[in-house]
Amino acid sequence: MNRVRVYVGAMLAALLLPAALLAGPGVTVTPLARDGRLLVSFRFTDSFGEDLRAAIHSGLPITFVYEIELRRRTSLWLDRTIATATVLATVRYDNLTHRYYVTRKEDGRIERADTVDREEAAREWLTSFDKLPLFDSAPLERNGEYILRIRAHTTPRNASFVWPWERGIAGLAKFTFIQ
Amino acid sequence: MSLAREAARPQAPRLSSEHAPRVSSGGGSRLRSGRAFRDNPRLVLLGIILLLGALVAMVTLADRSAELNPDFVSEVVLYAVSVADLTMVIALGFVLARNIVKVVVERRRGLPFSKFRGKLVLAMLGLTIVPSVLVLIVGGELIRSSTERWLRAPVDDVLRLATQIAHDYYRERETLMEGHAARLAGAIPATSVIAGDEESVRRAVAPEVAAAKMALVEVYRVEVTGGRQRVTPLVAVESASLPRGHTRASADLLASRIITGGTDPQPLEPLEGGGELVRAGAIIREAQTNQPVGVVIASDHLSGGLAAHSRRITSAYEDYNHLRVLKRPLQGIYLSLFLMMTLMILVSATWMGLYVAKRITRPVQRLAAGAREIGAGHLDHRIEAETRDEFGSLVEAFNSMASGLAASQQKLERSRLDLERKNQQLDDRRRYIETVLERIATGVVSLGADSRIETINGAALRLLGVDRSVIGAQADEVVQRDDLRPLEPLLRHARGGGKAPAAQEFALARDGRELHLAAAATPLQRDDGTFEGAVLVFDDVTPLIRTQRVAAWRDVARRLAHEIKNPLTPIQLCAERMRRHFTTAPPTARALVEECTSTIVGEVESLKELVDEFAQFARMPAPRAVPSDLNAVLADTVLLYKGLFNGIRIEQRFADALPPVRVDIEQFRRVVINLVDNAVEALGGNPAASSNGHTPEIVIETRHDPVNGVASVVVADNGPGIPAADREKLFMPYYSTKRRGSGLGLAIVRRIIAEHGGSIDVADNTPSGTIFTIELPV
Repeated sequence: MNRVRVYVGAMLAALLLPAALLAGPGVTVTPLARDGRLLVSFRFTDSFGEDLRAAIHSGLPITFVYEIELRRRTSLWLDRTIATATVLATVRYDNLTHRYYVTRKEDGRIERADTVDREEAAREWLTSFDKLPLFDSAPLERNGEYILRIRAHTTPRNASFVWPWERGIAGLAKFTFIQ
Repeated sequence: MSLAREAARPQAPRLSSEHAPRVSSGGGSRLRSGRAFRDNPRLVLLGIILLLGALVAMVTLADRSAELNPDFVSEVVLYAVSVADLTMVIALGFVLARNIVKVVVERRRGLPFSKFRGKLVLAMLGLTIVPSVLVLIVGGELIRSSTERWLRAPVDDVLRLATQIAHDYYRERETLMEGHAARLAGAIPATSVIAGDEESVRRAVAPEVAAAKMALVEVYRVEVTGGRQRVTPLVAVESASLPRGHTRASADLLASRIITGGTDPQPLEPLEGGGELVRAGAIIREAQTNQPVGVVIASDHLSGGLAAHSRRITSAYEDYNHLRVLKRPLQGIYLSLFLMMTLMILVSATWMGLYVAKRITRPVQRLAAGAREIGAGHLDHRIEAETRDEFGSLVEAFNSMASGLAASQQKLERSRLDLERKNQQLDDRRRYIETVLERIATGVVSLGADSRIETINGAALRLLGVDRSVIGAQADEVVQRDDLRPLEPLLRHARGGGKAPAAQEFALARDGRELHLAAAATPLQRDDGTFEGAVLVFDDVTPLIRTQRVAAWRDVARRLAHEIKNPLTPIQLCAERMRRHFTTAPPTARALVEECTSTIVGEVESLKELVDEFAQFARMPAPRAVPSDLNAVLADTVLLYKGLFNGIRIEQRFADALPPVRVDIEQFRRVVINLVDNAVEALGGNPAASSNGHTPEIVIETRHDPVNGVASVVVADNGPGIPAADREKLFMPYYSTKRRGSGLGLAIVRRIIAEHGGSIDVADNTPSGTIFTIELPV
């Protein structure tokens, strides 16, 4: 009987282990079509670990890189990429004044720049984006199934010597385009 | 191989097509193309230089890695060195695996020096891998400990505290300016601001600037346009000590933020002349309504040295923190570079070790392969000297040895060919002698030292009546046969060792005929006199003896004819005279005389006929042969018997296309008549005389043997035949089986045939009778 319990426990542990491993940083994505634009809201959750905070407070410019892909779903083949965009959010902490100098760029264009003195404000700047008009919705097909996929990572990477090839954290949202 | 070397090479013997010249051993295009790099010192030197260059680049990169852009370090450099490491690990694995597999395969195939090469490779790999791994472990630990030492606590504390001091000082100045701004906001009359009375505002501000040692005070008036508040500069009062070069932009921005309720921190404005302005602001409000009517910005000037020192402290602290943050990537780069160097050394050392092992074993392998080729008879095989060192000298010596062997082989080959030619000549001569011995009528028998028959030719076989099984038999045993016993004395003489040849004549009975042989034995002796064997020679002298006998008989016949015939006529005349004389005598006496004289006369006539035949035998003329149609001659002759003997059937079987034969027609007709007469005589002259129950028959047949060039005439009867003992005597003069007859018929026949160059033979007919066969040359 005890042995059965052990087996059941081991199986439950095996089932729950991936979920536990998945709990951590993630990207939540919310698309919204309005006025001929596809507005993208996304949030990089649980991304501010101690390593990253230390890196930011070291005064090193840290950039959050968001690579956004808009894909058309295909049932029998690989999804087709319709458009891509890159959003960069950079923070530099001034240890003299204890202020965060933040900048946002969309596809290389500086969209916003500011100075904040609170870490929470800087975190919002870096990880939370609301209704960015990244894509034109005109090419989208009516009632078409689409995927909005965002891959996020920070630079410079605190990469490992053994295996430096980290691909970052990804999140996606599937939606049907209704006009 | 160069043309000069090819030309200098000794000419290889042209043995056969399969020994076509071979350029070098164990090579092939793959080997030659492989040698292009390995055996080219310039390329090897270039490779070493590139390797050293890569090492220098890595050292430089490691030295400057901390100064590089962190993004470049983590995104490019770390990836690049990791890829390089991975590539080298794969290259090392490939080199090791390839060569280990190669060594294993060579050992399994049992190639020469494979064991030695395997041991050499293993030793070199051990000598390179073990120290390299140890160095890698120790070096990695050193790098790790060194990077840890960068971030020691005292340094961290000093930098952090210094930065905190600078920050506190800045914060204190900001707080001070905030107090001054708040105080000024209360001191400046709101009505003056609303009215835009600059002078009134300036009077209120100027004493405070001097008293509080502020560097600059700027007052803004708030205006409401379209429901939105905005600030416009009203008065700016600055200290005399404020350096030139400041702008109003940061103050304008700060005033706008303050009036819009922003909580953003105050900006710092660096000045061109050095130093910074620390600003703080406050809202001027109307006392009764508490409405904002203006903004006052108070600025403090931090001197250039103080600001610079604070920034330097902060920068140092941040650089220090950068190291802390980038510790892992930097450690990774250092470890990667160190690993790369180790791998490069390892790959180079491994490759070099394998190369050296190959350089040592390959010439020896090639020499061994060359020796095998030479051993297999490929004396034109040469080895190309790849180096000019001791191995090159060894290869040259090997090639010289091969050339010498080839020359010797060439001489041997010539000698062999010469010997073969001589052997062929001897063989031809031997076959020629054997053919001659086989074809000659003289029998030759050779005996060995042990008296065994070694060779015997066909004539000897025929004359002695033995077959070839006697070869190898003891001659003594062979002559034990009854008819060969006369040879014993001759054999004894031959074995006796006498040098002089011995001769002997003896007669043998062969197929009912008497065969006269003249034999001679010649002993063979070596130079030292020892018996080596003997040669026995036999000649058939039967025809010679027969001729001698015929000649003797002819002489006898001539004498008989002369001595007997002459007295016969007087005898006959005397008898007739006596008969005439006694015609008048009494009848009794007359009858007696008549009877006696008749007898005398009759016998004399008989004697005359006998003498005439002898004379004819003795004086037979030479034949006048002309080409004749034998079939026609025979047919004409047989025609003479037509109707004479009705009880005897004479059958003619003539061959078609019988070529003309040179014969004396009259003499040949006499031969045929003689033979047919004998046959008729044998058959008794009528059917009743046939004793064997068969119909008496005489067959006259002609045959043609174009191969041997012989035309044959056969006369056969089915009479009682002739006993074997009488056959040889048939052809002797004065021998006859008939009661009447001179016995010269068949002797004359044989003589006529012999003078035509032919032969006549007699044999039994089947089932009975006699066959006479005449063979004439065509």
